[in-house]
Amino acid sequence: MKSKHIKKYTAAALVALLLGSCSEILEEQPRSLYEPGFFRTERGVNGGITSMYAHLRYIFGQAYFYNTTLTGTDEATWAQSADANFKDMDLSGVGSITSTSSRADVLWGAAFSNINTASGIIENAAEVEGISDALIAEARFFRAFDYFMLVQTFGGVPLDLGSGELKFNNNPVRTSVRNTVPEVYTKAIFPDLLTAIDDLPAVGRLTGTATQTLARLYLAKAYLTYAWWLENPNNIPTYPETSRVDPDGKDAQWYFQQAYDVAVTAIDNPGPFGLQETFYDLHLGSNDRNKELLLYADHTETSEFYNGASLTFSNGGAPENFAVWMMTWNYTNIRSSTTSDWSNVISSVQREASQDLGRPWTRMAPPIGVFENTFADKTNDARYDGTFVTVYRGNWKKGGINDDFVYNANDMRVEHGEPILTFLDEEPSTPINYPNGAGKSNIGAGELPGRSDFVISPRGISRIAHPGLWKLGTYRTDNGDGLGQPNAASTRPFNIAKFSELYFIAAEAAVMGAAAQGGKSARDLINVIRARAGKWRWDNNGNRAKAEDNSAAMVAATPATIDIDYILAERSREYFGEGYRWYDLVRTQKWAEVASTYEIGGINYGDHAPVKVNRTIEPYHYLRPIPQGQIERLELSPEELSAYQNPGYQ
Amino acid sequence: MSIMWVWLVPLAIAQQQVSGIVSDSSDGSPLPGVNVLVKGTTSGAVTGLDGNYHVNVPGTDAVLVFSFIGYQTQEVVVGTRSAVNINLEPDLSTLSEVVVVGYGTQREEAVTGSVASISGELLRDIPSGNVTQALQGRVAGVELSQTSSRPGASMQIRIRGTRSLTATNDPLVVLDGIPFAGSIGDINPNDIKSLDILKDASATAIYGSRGANGVILVTTNRGQKGQQARISYNGFYGVREIFSKYPMMNGPEFMALRQAAGQYTNALDESDDVDTDWQDLLYKSGTITSHELGVSGGTEKGNYTFNAGYFNDQGVIPTQQYERFSMRAAIDQEVGKHIRLGFTTNNNYNITKGSQVGIYGILSMSPLANPYNADGTWKRTIKMPLDEPWSYSREVVENLKDEWLSETRAYGTYNSLYGELKIPGVEGLKYRANVGLDFRQSHGGDFTGEGVNNANPTTPSSASVSNSHTYHWAIENLLTYDRIFAQKHMINAVALFSTEQTRFNSSRMAARDIPSSAFQFYNLGYAAGEITVDPSQQNYWQSGLMSYMARVMYSFDDRYMLSATLRSDGSSVLAEGHKWHTYPAVSAGWNIGTEPFLQNSNVINMLKLRVGYGQTSNQAVNPYQTLGLLSTRPYNFGNDTYSTGYYVNQLPNPQLGWEFSETMNFGLDFSLLQDRLSGTVEYYITNTNDVLLNVGLPATSGASFVTSNIGETQNKGAELSINGLILDNVGGWTWEAGLNVYTNRNKLVALASGASRDESNWWFVGHPINAIYDHERIGLWQEGDPHLDILEPGGNVGMIKVKYTGEYNSDGVPVRQIGPDDRQIMNVDPDFQGGFNTRVAYKGFDLSIVGAFKSGGILISTLYSSSGYLNMLSGRRNNVKADYWTPENTDAKYPKPGGIASGDNPKYGGTLGYFDATYLKVRTMTLGYNFENTPFIKNIGIQQLRLYAAVQNPFVMFSPYHRESGMDPETNSYGDENAAVTSAYQRRLLTLGTNAPATRNYLIGVNLTF
Repeated sequence: MKSKHIKKYTAAALVALLLGSCSEILEEQPRSLYEPGFFRTERGVNGGITSMYAHLRYIFGQAYFYNTTLTGTDEATWAQSADANFKDMDLSGVGSITSTSSRADVLWGAAFSNINTASGIIENAAEVEGISDALIAEARFFRAFDYFMLVQTFGGVPLDLGSGELKFNNNPVRTSVRNTVPEVYTKAIFPDLLTAIDDLPAVGRLTGTATQTLARLYLAKAYLTYAWWLENPNNIPTYPETSRVDPDGKDAQWYFQQAYDVAVTAIDNPGPFGLQETFYDLHLGSNDRNKELLLYADHTETSEFYNGASLTFSNGGAPENFAVWMMTWNYTNIRSSTTSDWSNVISSVQREASQDLGRPWTRMAPPIGVFENTFADKTNDARYDGTFVTVYRGNWKKGGINDDFVYNANDMRVEHGEPILTFLDEEPSTPINYPNGAGKSNIGAGELPGRSDFVISPRGISRIAHPGLWKLGTYRTDNGDGLGQPNAASTRPFNIAKFSELYFIAAEAAVMGAAAQGGKSARDLINVIRARAGKWRWDNNGNRAKAEDNSAAMVAATPATIDIDYILAERSREYFGEGYRWYDLVRTQKWAEVASTYEIGGINYGDHAPVKVNRTIEPYHYLRPIPQGQIERLELSPEELSAYQNPGYQ
Repeated sequence: MSIMWVWLVPLAIAQQQVSGIVSDSSDGSPLPGVNVLVKGTTSGAVTGLDGNYHVNVPGTDAVLVFSFIGYQTQEVVVGTRSAVNINLEPDLSTLSEVVVVGYGTQREEAVTGSVASISGELLRDIPSGNVTQALQGRVAGVELSQTSSRPGASMQIRIRGTRSLTATNDPLVVLDGIPFAGSIGDINPNDIKSLDILKDASATAIYGSRGANGVILVTTNRGQKGQQARISYNGFYGVREIFSKYPMMNGPEFMALRQAAGQYTNALDESDDVDTDWQDLLYKSGTITSHELGVSGGTEKGNYTFNAGYFNDQGVIPTQQYERFSMRAAIDQEVGKHIRLGFTTNNNYNITKGSQVGIYGILSMSPLANPYNADGTWKRTIKMPLDEPWSYSREVVENLKDEWLSETRAYGTYNSLYGELKIPGVEGLKYRANVGLDFRQSHGGDFTGEGVNNANPTTPSSASVSNSHTYHWAIENLLTYDRIFAQKHMINAVALFSTEQTRFNSSRMAARDIPSSAFQFYNLGYAAGEITVDPSQQNYWQSGLMSYMARVMYSFDDRYMLSATLRSDGSSVLAEGHKWHTYPAVSAGWNIGTEPFLQNSNVINMLKLRVGYGQTSNQAVNPYQTLGLLSTRPYNFGNDTYSTGYYVNQLPNPQLGWEFSETMNFGLDFSLLQDRLSGTVEYYITNTNDVLLNVGLPATSGASFVTSNIGETQNKGAELSINGLILDNVGGWTWEAGLNVYTNRNKLVALASGASRDESNWWFVGHPINAIYDHERIGLWQEGDPHLDILEPGGNVGMIKVKYTGEYNSDGVPVRQIGPDDRQIMNVDPDFQGGFNTRVAYKGFDLSIVGAFKSGGILISTLYSSSGYLNMLSGRRNNVKADYWTPENTDAKYPKPGGIASGDNPKYGGTLGYFDATYLKVRTMTLGYNFENTPFIKNIGIQQLRLYAAVQNPFVMFSPYHRESGMDPETNSYGDENAAVTSAYQRRLLTLGTNAPATRNYLIGVNLTF
């Protein structure tokens, strides 16, 4: 009986399998993954758009890419704990830029997949009901944005990813052909941005999403950059080789004029955007995502998951925003004593999740020229105070040490919260008494008679001790009474584009010959920025209110004739340490002129003698090498591979 | 015949004729093919199909010897009888001579494929909780590599090398006839009767695509028919001690390094006069315990067995442990004459704990730091020059066991049922249905209390829960036909139709800030902080396979054997139109030893030549690879608008098809000198085509990779195993020894693109798959070495010198700096490897030694390479003991501290992690005593009693790595684990990293049956 049943069941199962489910067993239905066809749904398009914003985090705030935008320029050199990532980019004989060492690979690795996703959305959205042109315009903006970043960094790059020019690629090809610089501009960047300006809203769909003003800024900047490329004043080579002739038959002047016109249109039609009252407010952590900011790679401390990075400990990799660690030196080595005989030494400035402190990596340092030249005016111009940390204040109580005061320089007492170390604005008239080596402060800082804080003067800064970068500093609201989570990556957005840059773009175009509108000459435009820079409401390093308006003095100090050098210097004052510098110097072909030498002290505590360092900046350095990872993945002949690489790096 | 008969009659005056039937004592069925020999003569007979025999014997004192494979030989005095009916007892001890070949068994002589068998008893020579540990070094061509040194870890199994680049290379495990969907650690080694490993394609072909990487057939113990109930107990207890500490610097050594590097000075918690051994503060003694109790027996028509086991392995790192409860039952029952039914169930519940405790934090801790405050209390954190790590020790971890934990509880049940019907009217024809039903679920939970494992004491607590379920079913319909014609023609034919399906789903959620630490991970809903359900950690897949198979095995007179198989597989994971593949296999054997010219040889007892050819295939890619894939990127728009983005990460491949291999196998089995020396020699070539590959795409294609059929690989190898009975009860002494040596040469033959190299994936035509593509270290730059400035811009004397392969100009000056083109392809695979075992017995005592060895190849130690961050040579964190360059010590191996760096490590620091992988290890030494022959034991009803003591991992020889580091040279991690940077090596390259330290174990055990 039993056996009959079993036979019956087995037979039934067998029949069922043979007849019913043959094909089912071999069919696939994913239930936890999306396949590319999802882009053909409305929600898929939305998700694709979100990933465009998220992709910014893989480039901006990524410290190694950040390093490529600054190290080697007049804004930054390598610091004491720098590894080859930083030394190589400095071009000062401590390393070299190669296809494996260049960290511009970060951009290359993140941009193309985003371009492809953008193309997928642009193609598919046409078939999906309910997708507005405004939404598609966001994809167009990002496709143009990535191509613009790529073309500035690497020269011409491929428009065909495998399925045709600017087409969504689902063809796994391992070949690639680079287009020329004018093709990338005229086929991809300009048309996408022009459409984006037409279709994007004046007010963003969500906090921080693309707007008409943002698209205008990038179109103006792209016109300006392309105009420089056509003009080529210093005969810098381009690659792939092509003549400096515009396919649309326009000349550099035409594009300078376009840059000016578009930028001025944006200034005249600001939508919800505009300048902050003070430079300090622009970068104040509690004032993030303010109206001056057009684009940023956002982060948050309200959600670890959507922040994309740990809120307690980060390792230093995308999508974390960890750029500011690089120019943060190890202030935690500063020592004070709780006893007058220095028998109980403590770390008086402890690692804290605050905008002036944060996590130190000591990888990049500002050379002395930044303090002596770029920020020569530290009293009228609020930008020095709003850029750097020059005063390090005692915070030992937050670290669990209960003493009310410590003994510090000259064995004088310093209360909790008062200055332990100050980077002086100027060389003092009385010479600083610096120790040999690390000294009492343990970081080689000196003493001045009557001062309870240790001091280092501008000419005394070194690769191991220099002012920190306040503007990008950590800002958290969950520290309570303690030090917070200084080892987490920054939860602040990393700013990418600002309204203020429209003034610089228009001014630069005017300097290069664009016809200016009345009241919007290069000098007028620059003075808008300088007037704002003269406004104070808070003395950041002095930690006190300071209601001062030095606008008049600032404007008065502006030269009568603005030239490109002045614009570059002003840009550095405005955007110091934010990742603009290499692109500015490359666009204007001024890199070698501006950055070929610098001065800074050595790598040991107590090194206060400036060392002059020379850089070797060759014309081929104006393009970064194609990353080795790309070369290795291509299936091309050795000759083709060699031709794919930029000259000088083969 | 009749003429001879007539002629013989006159001479055989004293002869008498005897006839009878030989049957199986257990079920009374007639036994065909039994040898009936008149003792002391060469005359005899073989029983026919009905078990009948006729034989002439010289007289009444004649003795008949009945022998048959798998049964105990019986001798019977004929006396005056003319009819002698005999029941032969199945011989348990010779069961190893029957080889399980998949969908049937074969006598060892008849096997034509490459099959290695090992009995459960031999496996238990190495007392362990995991069969993979017991198998290491035991079988030629079967490489077992340690992938983790944590309690409960399984080893990686590779049968005859690596074929596939991206698809799995794990062999198929078949448990009691049903493909096993669980973890091999779920199988209790005590339950195993035998392991049969199918190595070549002619043997594995019946398993089709599932068998591409070899098949391990696990047969578990069953009761015997008619056997009286027997109770058995096996148990052992052992202590685990550290084999060696990780070779970190002590205080003075580290102080000297920090000074030589000149980059860091002592931080607040450090002092030159302190020398703390952080490892001593962490490690404890571990223990291993195993108990297994079983009962088995049989009736006239059936048998049963039941086992329960408990295994507990506590590691040397506090809270790390693995615990397993297992239960197994098997029943076979005959119903009437034609029907047989059976059921096997294997169940286990296991708990793995302690993965929250890593050891990098301990190894990198400054030995100059005193862990105690002046008042004797433990410091929460240690201030080092750039780091302020949370500080922990054995006591800290154990005191926090409810505040800081990680555990996984898994339950698996693997069940097979069968029904067998002898088709009446057709002799030898049987229908059998196998049904396999498996289920495995695993539940993981982690909890880290507030401030635990973090420098900030107010860091919110965090918790996570994860679950995974695997469902697997298989139905097999088999028709078998098994008959002997004319006494000499044996035919076995099998036809199969099978279907199987596996479904997997897993989920994970995490939360921050659990208000009460008593909740641990048991109620995430109360979290005050964020609750995260990360879409990339939720998983579902289902895959199915349908197969048709037919196999015929034919043997003539046990002399000539032939086996032919045809199988067709359809798989769900491949692209439409590419789902099916059909492949043949054929093999032949020639038992030269049974030929007349060798039959009476005193030297050669058995000599068999085997040749096989077969195709197998591999479809073991993850499901949904043909469709392409979007990856997710979460993002926030401001502080309160959250959204998840998608982007294309993997491109679809509508052409994805089967990867298949063709194998030629040549084997020679021999047994010499009265079977005192036996062995096997084999040679094989496997060519694998259309290799399935995750191909990394250039960034300009817009996606990261595509799964594709690309390339051809080849494995060639030779295997030798020898077993000798050196002393056979000479004055009570018996000495046996076995050795196996094998080598596998693997290479990539072609890439489908026609390219000869794929640098991004480290694939090079003509080179092994397991290759490293890196610079070759040739020493250190010394003072005065020419061209340092050209070859290494920014370099320094004392830095690592690597090979330059570029050109020189006419003055002999290098034309460029050293760069990526100078990298070399280095082979990781060993030249040869194997194992050995020996057993000496005297009276009741026996001593056995089992070992393994390996020669050549590269051992990757991430402790010494850049990816481990333990050899930074900067003095920032503690460093492995390294003989580094200083102006006074220029003849060093390691570079100048504080010299040119790449990242945080010395430039080319990756090259410091490559070592010669050679070693010889004694794995286990066991001394036992058997009490069987002790009258007292017999009298109280004990059938078997054995006590033993064993030491595992006692010593290592011939290992350059061991010489330098003092460590066990076996790998303990996958390439992407247990290092500070886990992206340096492909996962398939096993490494030695910061996992739980290797141990040396001391065990005592008992085996008891009554």
